Amino acid sequence: MNTSASPELAMTGISKTFPGVVALDQAHLSARAGEATAVMGANGAGKSTLMNVLGGVTRPDAGSIELCGTRIDIASPRDAASHGIAFVHQELTMLPTLSVAENIFIDDFPSKGGLIDRAAIHARCQIILDRLGCTISPDRIVGELSTGDRQMIEIARAMRREPRVIIFDEPTSSLTQPEKRRLFAVIESLKRDGAIILYITHFLDEIFEICERVSVMRGGRTVGGGSIETFKPVDIVRLMLGEVDVGTRLKAPLDERQKTVLEVRGLARGTALQDINFDLYVGEVVGLWGLLGAGRTELARALVGLDPIDHGTIRWHDGTALRPISPHALHKLTGFVTEDRRGEGLLLPLSVNDNLALPSLKRFLNPWGLLNRKPQAALADTMIDRLGIKVSSREQSAGTLSGGNQQKVVLGRWLATEPRLFILDEPTRGLDVSAKTEILKLTAELARSGATVLLISSEIDELMRICDRYLVMVRGAITAELPGSASHAELMDALSAPVASHMTQRARA
Amino acid sequence: MAHEATMPRLSAGFGRHARSVLILALALGIATYLWFYAPSFYRTNNLINVLVQSSSLAVLCIGMAVVMIGGGIDLSLPANMALSAILGGFYMAAGGSPLIGSVIMLASGTAIGMLNGVAVAYLKMIPFVVTLATMTVLNGLSVWLTNSTSVSGFPESFFDVMLARPWGVPTPVIIVAVAIFLASVLMSSTLLGRHVYAVGISPKAAEVARVPVSRTLLLGYGLAGLCAGLTAILLSARLGSASANMGVDSVVLDIVSAVVVGGVSIYGGVGRIWAAALGAVFITLLSNSLNLLGASFYLSLVIKGVVIIGFIALDTAFRGRR
Repeated sequence: MNTSASPELAMTGISKTFPGVVALDQAHLSARAGEATAVMGANGAGKSTLMNVLGGVTRPDAGSIELCGTRIDIASPRDAASHGIAFVHQELTMLPTLSVAENIFIDDFPSKGGLIDRAAIHARCQIILDRLGCTISPDRIVGELSTGDRQMIEIARAMRREPRVIIFDEPTSSLTQPEKRRLFAVIESLKRDGAIILYITHFLDEIFEICERVSVMRGGRTVGGGSIETFKPVDIVRLMLGEVDVGTRLKAPLDERQKTVLEVRGLARGTALQDINFDLYVGEVVGLWGLLGAGRTELARALVGLDPIDHGTIRWHDGTALRPISPHALHKLTGFVTEDRRGEGLLLPLSVNDNLALPSLKRFLNPWGLLNRKPQAALADTMIDRLGIKVSSREQSAGTLSGGNQQKVVLGRWLATEPRLFILDEPTRGLDVSAKTEILKLTAELARSGATVLLISSEIDELMRICDRYLVMVRGAITAELPGSASHAELMDALSAPVASHMTQRARA
Repeated sequence: MAHEATMPRLSAGFGRHARSVLILALALGIATYLWFYAPSFYRTNNLINVLVQSSSLAVLCIGMAVVMIGGGIDLSLPANMALSAILGGFYMAAGGSPLIGSVIMLASGTAIGMLNGVAVAYLKMIPFVVTLATMTVLNGLSVWLTNSTSVSGFPESFFDVMLARPWGVPTPVIIVAVAIFLASVLMSSTLLGRHVYAVGISPKAAEVARVPVSRTLLLGYGLAGLCAGLTAILLSARLGSASANMGVDSVVLDIVSAVVVGGVSIYGGVGRIWAAALGAVFITLLSNSLNLLGASFYLSLVIKGVVIIGFIALDTAFRGRR
């Protein structure tokens, strides 16, 4: 491997500002032929935007791109394709009712006399599939293929134009283990053919297996990178998440455990959740800490029955003893804040009043089964006042509120049901700094008043301000438990520890 | 953000206005036209007749409004109504009491509605396709059961009650008024009603907010079926018979036009019962006046179809952006 040669792909000084957001700030990326370069970064770090710039989807405000020593201008996806840049998408973009061959040639059917030349499609498709070592027939209907096979077809489509650069955007997120092995074999063969591979993933272990170089982004900048051999997993996590100013804690960690509220044993679903065991105690805020895609949201949704589970038991302390409870029944006792505030958290066209009261309506029924408006309005006013929700009136529609106020409505709705357990999934996502702090203060208050909170957040500084305990999730499993006093470094190490131990095991073997 | 926040409210307001203005203009146009070309329309008796004629459509519209506010559609309502009328009609024609005959109609309508509800709510089938299929099945059953003839010979006491005019108001009009009132209260002031709106806006968000989504849908379709059963009573009393013809396809067109004109969103989550019922009066008026003006049945179909498209366009332009 010639490491001294100049990079075949060099993106320098790339900047892009969207209204109100700096997505890329002088970002750079270099990659070599015959190597895979991992592009790492937390959510919102700018890696997608950078890849979109390369793919011609987004026009940068500034910066230059050089491919094999010549400066190129990429104004459209078509330009990108003509320069030999191909994108293997994370979300499979196949047309399920068409054949493999038709999908691969969909945007450029070879024709003869104005009619599509099926024989040519079949033959050319077969050549590409052979090259990938793929045994799927070009005539198979894509809808009948497994996810892994579809991924192969997606790669075959990218291969059609003899690409020099191939971008893989989280290719393994829905693959089984054997499918992943096959994908890696294909990537290795592409490297041998001299392609420049850019590999985006949230899974640390993969990049140490398949990539030669790494480039880490944070806040729209490239914050580090180089040969993968010079990095340990924990270095990459630190670069991704940055040194944070934790600030003052909003709540001192609890020093002793109270009674158990919830006990989860052997909870599992497919590859998403594997043998999850944990307990939650009265009055504590437990941070579910992990990288995106670790299965945190999946766990939260499975607990309250919004997603199915394969097996496992949940027990709930009903005041006298721990008794088994179904996820559906647990939902009725839990304040559940979803990560998708606008899609699932609120009924946007309804008023703040109606949104706040929805799960508590039963309380306002008179003996005739009719809703009594006055106590409902009183509840809404109480919540608006207590949480400081800024509205013109309680009848304002929820869709017209700012993000922070919307989130307060979601919290207020559950507060009204007085649950003993809250599950908050990214409650501060998309909020400004002051709104974030307000939501965190509310969370701390919930715990102080005796409720238990399971908190999911990708922002480590937020967790560190209020958590009494951490459950660390990596790849669908809980891999460690840390006390509330855990340091920033300990939390970082916890994410990379399973990867590191996995690597040493492999090295020994 | 501020821009984004104020836009939907403004456009929704404009949408409401555009709709009212359009309906008012159409109604005024029809009224003026009739004043000059068919003055007999304005006789008290004819006006009462229009109300009686609207009554059966209005009840079907209540049912359709409930289902559509919940985000679905029930195309089988007229077919359900016809079959229910035939079943109750058989009983009465054989000398059964009108009271039990009516109960049979209500029960059959509700049961068929619930069947649709199970298919949509628990088997997760697409409402449009399911109810289209149910419609065909029910129509077929009606024709098969009756050999395409009418079932008649109901007891006189049935007509004595249904065709009476206490205080000068025909019984059907009173029944419909009560039905509109009850359904409005149900939708605005009961748990089920509020849940129907929530499910219609977003089943996912409703589920997160602990709304029993499947049960709500099931009851919604059941309620629509109950309305079909009630219509069966009203219409078989007015016609003096029950037949498969009661549920011809054009009735579906009338229901959908009336409900959409009445401001129920085809996207779910929006609508009022009384407005949907008013839509039924409007559509009956439209049919009637087209009739008086000598327009053929086919021309009136064309005009009603255009009216639906116009109102759906309004719905889509101002409220459908979700």
